[in-house]
Amino acid sequence: MFADTWHLFLKYTKITLRMPLWTLFTLIQPLLWLIIFTQLFKNFVQAPTDGGSYIDFFVPGVLVMTALFGSSWSGVSLLREITAGSVDKMLVSPVSRVAIVLSRVMHSAVQVVLQTLTIMLVAWAFGANLNLDPINLLLAMVSIFLLGVGLAALSNGFAIILQREEPLVMIGNLMTLPLMFLSTAMVPKQFMPGWIEAVSLINPITYAVESVRAVLVGTPDLGTYGFGVGIMFVFAGLSLAWAVSAFNGLRD
Amino acid sequence: MIRVSGLTKIFEGGNKAINDLSLEVKQGEILALLGPNGAGKTTTIRVLTTLSGFDQGEVEVASFNVDSDPESVRRAIGLVAQKTGVDHFLTGRENLVLQGRLYRMNTAEIESRIIELAKYFELDDSLDRTVMTYSGGMQRKLDIATALIHKPKVLFLDEPTLGLDIKSRQNLWQYINKLNIEQGLTILLTTHYLEEADHLSHRVAIINQGKIQIIDTPEALKNDIHGDAVILNFDSQGPETGDFTYALHEDPEIKDVVWQNDKLHVYVDNGGSAVPKLVHLAEEKGLLIKSLSLSQPSLDDVFLKYTGTTLDEAVKEEGDEWWHQWAGKGGGGKWQKNWDKWQDKIEESGSEEDKAGWQDKMQEWQNKDDSGQNGSASPTKTDNSPQQQSGKQPQGDGEKSQKTNDQPQQSTDKQSESDKQQDWPQQQWAGKDQGDWQKWQQPEKDK
Repeated sequence: MFADTWHLFLKYTKITLRMPLWTLFTLIQPLLWLIIFTQLFKNFVQAPTDGGSYIDFFVPGVLVMTALFGSSWSGVSLLREITAGSVDKMLVSPVSRVAIVLSRVMHSAVQVVLQTLTIMLVAWAFGANLNLDPINLLLAMVSIFLLGVGLAALSNGFAIILQREEPLVMIGNLMTLPLMFLSTAMVPKQFMPGWIEAVSLINPITYAVESVRAVLVGTPDLGTYGFGVGIMFVFAGLSLAWAVSAFNGLRD
Repeated sequence: MIRVSGLTKIFEGGNKAINDLSLEVKQGEILALLGPNGAGKTTTIRVLTTLSGFDQGEVEVASFNVDSDPESVRRAIGLVAQKTGVDHFLTGRENLVLQGRLYRMNTAEIESRIIELAKYFELDDSLDRTVMTYSGGMQRKLDIATALIHKPKVLFLDEPTLGLDIKSRQNLWQYINKLNIEQGLTILLTTHYLEEADHLSHRVAIINQGKIQIIDTPEALKNDIHGDAVILNFDSQGPETGDFTYALHEDPEIKDVVWQNDKLHVYVDNGGSAVPKLVHLAEEKGLLIKSLSLSQPSLDDVFLKYTGTTLDEAVKEEGDEWWHQWAGKGGGGKWQKNWDKWQDKIEESGSEEDKAGWQDKMQEWQNKDDSGQNGSASPTKTDNSPQQQSGKQPQGDGEKSQKTNDQPQQSTDKQSESDKQQDWPQQQWAGKDQGDWQKWQQPEKDK
């Protein structure tokens, strides 16, 4: 299974590397948000951001956003592969069924990690004050990776269930923005109306953001990080299990 | 090598995609499943290659049970599906390597196999180019090569030459034939090209509505229909041709009369003696015969016999092309209804007047057809109709009408430009509701 996953992962990576422009495009949106939001709120925010500037507070949010936008479309290419017949070609071989889903999800998550690293570099150039020592960075990336796995798995699962691109894109659109705003990615909890705060508590994005923020901004808070990463781990695991079971049900 | 008995697969909604299908393919044999789209060919292949489940029956491939031991089946078979499964962003070599990996082959095995296959399919020069740059025929070859990487015992080919031009198609036939002869590969292929089934396979199974109508060698199937076919093409069509057809129906020596496009197929025991008679009769009716040919029955005639339709007619159309409005889908359209109405009327009254009436009506409809032509493509361009170019629906009508024209029986004549008016409606019908056309032209034969 792991060998299969690895070979398929290599295939997707090769394909991505042959379309570098597309990967660049997925960076544009988070970059715009980073620039617009930090500029927009620069003088305006009196938020309790633990003493840091808004950009420090906001960078983890943008990183998570990158993961959110980057991996939520993984299912679209699965549908393309189904239509093109490559999935049938895999299914007719003795390849592990789990590996087919796993390789896609891993590829998406790794891609997202590389994208967030790029964004982080830009944020740093913008003057964000982050803890960029290797350990904190690694911890943050673990959390981002798990988030990427979870979202990509969800997207693949929906793709299999919906079988069509249009509703999949619609659901993607429907989910990503609210997930984004109903979390602590852009504003701290204290700033939120009560109901949004309540929603944010059950939103996995919140925990992704909190865990990343806990290690990258201010004094590292391993308790918050551990809790957030734990939630991410459960989220990724459940989504993946669901996607794999949906995929196994693909056989008509 | 393949043993299927009592296979039944029911789709959601109770529709039987495969209905009690049994067949056997021997080691080293090429069996063609011949039938229209929607006949259950692809579904059968999907079941046999473990891609689909089924409801009843026993399926054994390469002596493994598909249901209880799919893993072993997968290792023993190769599938070339209708859609090319090769990845366009990868090079030919990368596709082959990946496929080898998925079959758990080691690097050395894969390397040597790629050299073999590339040589065999003459892909050496293009192995390191991305598949995007390949022609349709090359992609197909690569697709087959990937399916063969692990040296399967059985190869499944689902419409292997669909969407290819005639030259690439014949080229591919050679490879498939060679694979079978040189390596003793057992092959099960599906096709809706009669020529392909005739050319490639040792035995043909005619499949329609999920059932196998008959399995035999192409020769035996053709011998089954005795006698000769005389194919006539007239200068014009109108009440006189209807009259002519009508007269033929009453002649006991003539076994059957079928219109196909604008050609009249007359089945007789002895073509030699029938021809003068036909010519004489045509003269009597004031008809000018533009061309006449005598031929042996083809697989198309066999198909007609066992399914009640010709293959072209039975091929399901897709999309919402404008002519559906009046051509109707699957014979249920306006034309069919009009015709049914007329027939009912004739039955009720049975008067000669009404019988004459249908001819007038036919003329009227035909004129309507002709007027339809003016606003659209010229008839000679039918073969280039949009759906063929789109490539997404390779079973488009353009191809079908082209195919119709390629049939051996009809190779004797080519229509002149001046015949556009006559040519047009039938060209349309060739791909669509040709059956209606036939029923139309020989209304009383069934009775």
